[in-house]
Amino acid sequence: MPESNNKSSIANIGSQYTRLSVKGIYKSFPGVQALDDVSFEVLPGEIHAVVGENGAGKSTLMHIIAGVYQPNEGKMELDGSFYIPGDEKAAQKSGIAIVFQEGSLFAPLSVAENIFAGRQPVNKLGFVDFEKMKKHTQELLQDLEVNIQPSTLVADLSPGQRQLVDIAKALSQQVKLLILDEPTSSLTISEARLLFKIIRRLAELSVSIIYVTHRLAEVFEIADRVTVLRDGKVSGVREVENTIPDEIIHLEVGRELLFAHETARVPVEASIALEIENLVAPPVKSSSITVRAGEIVCLAGLVGAGRTELCETIFGIRQPVSGRILVDGSEITPRHPIDAMRAGIGMVPEDRREAGLFLSMSVAANIGVANMEKVTHMGLLADSEIKQLAKEYTDTLKVVTPSLEREVMYLSGGNQQKVLLARWLARQPRILIVDEPTRGVDVGSKADLYAILRELAKSGVALLVVSSDLPEVLALAHRIVVMSEGRTVGELNPDQADEVSIIQMATPRSIITQGG
Amino acid sequence: MSLKPSSKENEGGTNTIKKLNRKWNLQRLGGYIARDRILLLILLITILSGFMTFTYPEAFPQTDNFAAVLLDTAQNGILTVGMMILLVGGVFDLSIGSILAFSGIVAGILVKDIGVPPIVALLGGILTGSLCGAINGFIITRWRINALITTLAMQGILRGVTQLFASSGVANLPEGFRPFGQTKFLGLQSPFWVMAIVVLVAWFAMSHTRFFRQFYYIGSNERAAGLSGIKVDRVNFIGFALMGTLSGLAGTLLASRLSNAVVLAGIGTDLRAITAAILGGASLHGGIGTIHGAFLGVLFMSLIQNMLIIARVPVFWQSIVVGMVLLIAIGIDQLGWRNQ
Repeated sequence: MPESNNKSSIANIGSQYTRLSVKGIYKSFPGVQALDDVSFEVLPGEIHAVVGENGAGKSTLMHIIAGVYQPNEGKMELDGSFYIPGDEKAAQKSGIAIVFQEGSLFAPLSVAENIFAGRQPVNKLGFVDFEKMKKHTQELLQDLEVNIQPSTLVADLSPGQRQLVDIAKALSQQVKLLILDEPTSSLTISEARLLFKIIRRLAELSVSIIYVTHRLAEVFEIADRVTVLRDGKVSGVREVENTIPDEIIHLEVGRELLFAHETARVPVEASIALEIENLVAPPVKSSSITVRAGEIVCLAGLVGAGRTELCETIFGIRQPVSGRILVDGSEITPRHPIDAMRAGIGMVPEDRREAGLFLSMSVAANIGVANMEKVTHMGLLADSEIKQLAKEYTDTLKVVTPSLEREVMYLSGGNQQKVLLARWLARQPRILIVDEPTRGVDVGSKADLYAILRELAKSGVALLVVSSDLPEVLALAHRIVVMSEGRTVGELNPDQADEVSIIQMATPRSIITQGG
Repeated sequence: MSLKPSSKENEGGTNTIKKLNRKWNLQRLGGYIARDRILLLILLITILSGFMTFTYPEAFPQTDNFAAVLLDTAQNGILTVGMMILLVGGVFDLSIGSILAFSGIVAGILVKDIGVPPIVALLGGILTGSLCGAINGFIITRWRINALITTLAMQGILRGVTQLFASSGVANLPEGFRPFGQTKFLGLQSPFWVMAIVVLVAWFAMSHTRFFRQFYYIGSNERAAGLSGIKVDRVNFIGFALMGTLSGLAGTLLASRLSNAVVLAGIGTDLRAITAAILGGASLHGGIGTIHGAFLGVLFMSLIQNMLIIARVPVFWQSIVVGMVLLIAIGIDQLGWRNQ
């Protein structure tokens, strides 16, 4: 683990007053106790990481601190006085700024207009003073050593640059406490380095930082202390210097090695089900992969490495410029997903809600959609057969739903993901591509989904799994293929690989030397 | 605050179902109108008929008046079927009135000026509509110009082209062309029966055939539909071509019924058809709506029209009322959507 090089503030803990203290916060949503007696504190100039599994309550806690939600019980103090933000505006006035994962910028406007949104400087005539706005923005960005022009449109920025603009926006308003929610999820390595530098500088200026993340490596690189949440409760607070990643994982999960790696190997004699040869489809630059029947190949890499695009090309959503896709040894040229489907390929997309589900339609209809050929006789759909099919596969995958008629939007993330898997399993595919199989699902469903994928592999399906969750890659894969900057750069054996070796292989060389 | 729902859901975990069950019960009442549109329409139609029977006993409950109301549903019914299918798929067509007029004129010119057999002129008119619809579909699915703009442009272009072809229309169409729109069967004129067949066939298709069921998936989530193997562009193209065909059918029937092909025919039919479809349960968000709902929407609008005529309300009021009905229907739709 990279050692933190900013531990100066640690020495002073205890002698200083606290910046923010949160005491006994309870927050429930209908049917869910999201936060259960949560207390924690942040010191001035401290970088305080908050970690926990999905659904542990991190976001809810941050939303309460930022004034978006009101707690049911509990109190907060900011610099020693009561702090009860009625809404986000009030929190901002008190000096608390939050930068969300998704960002909150207006794409068609310039960087300067975004930073001063809602409070543009005006001249004597009451018109917006663009010169002044640009100048302030320029100063702000230079201060952060961010090389972005104030007049650039946000739409033209990379996701990472947008994140930095979002942070600059937060900083432009006298901030005492800055909350960053998964700030590096869309950043490149060099952008993340820059962000860390900025965070450290802010800490030196005694701005407090709450850093919400699920990436432990980042906690150990940047944070002074870490608070771990589990099921809405604080399961531990540690000084980063005096802990190790395993301890934090234990606090997060509360169980020993939840998802052990399965050692079963796939015999090399198993036939190759999917073979990708030098496939080029920008941003994918020459990638080759083989997946044998019964094998789980995990595609690892950084965000933006071209993994999703590679899968989309195999599934006929994008057209390759060159290269070949072979299924069971014969070449296919899918021009539309239906072509790939007819060749025996299925795909569960990354974005369940946008690209996968028909949210307002029933569970049965969601499963039936990819299986209409099977249940159509002379052009007529047999509804009873759709239901039968849906019943069969929701039973097999143990989907929790009150009925097959229930609109799928009312199901939990894990069950929605199972419905998507059921859709494809009903087609009995030879090859299944699963992009981020467990994003946004709770720990229990995660275990179910792993079991389903392993069972599928055992039955002889070739699985190509894209995952950004490295423990997941290590737990699931029979073989790990690493992509970097649009290319497949190597293979790893999960028995010998660890998170560090994957990241090393996934990190583009140019950026490593540049960044440090 | 787009952030709220997503984070709420993250925290929901395994309890989400329980939570939403309760929510659904609470909002059941609010969403009821939006959910059971069929019952609501039947109720409204009954109330309206009862009120009219009571208020105008000499004018309303008469066989002739009922025949007039049903004849009035013919054109709007044919068009609303097509509009409903498009709305289920999440799009709509503003050029139907112009296609209607253009098809009528083409049929009129064919039968009167060129002198082809009436049945050929009829088919010519209908196919003209198909062609116009196919052009709409081509522009929308190939050039990726949105449906609103494409069909709005087509509305203007075709109206102008129609006037270019026949400055004021084609009058006094030959005897042989008239039976299509003027034959009576069981006391009702043929356009009603044509509409009845269109409605029945479309109802069957939308509820039972694989092809037409694809519109529901596309309207619900176009991207997911494509990723599930549905050829979205092809289905949309056929939807617009079908809308054009039905407009051509309506235009040719109108010309036959009036013995005249009128250049200004069909103005305002787009508004009426969209209103009837939304009334009948379609949503601007796509993915929902039924053909029987569309027919009830059409019937309801014809009754309102009939009521205004019997009550001797000036003609311009009809347009005001239709516009207001559309706003109310869309308001209900939005209400139901927000409750979800």
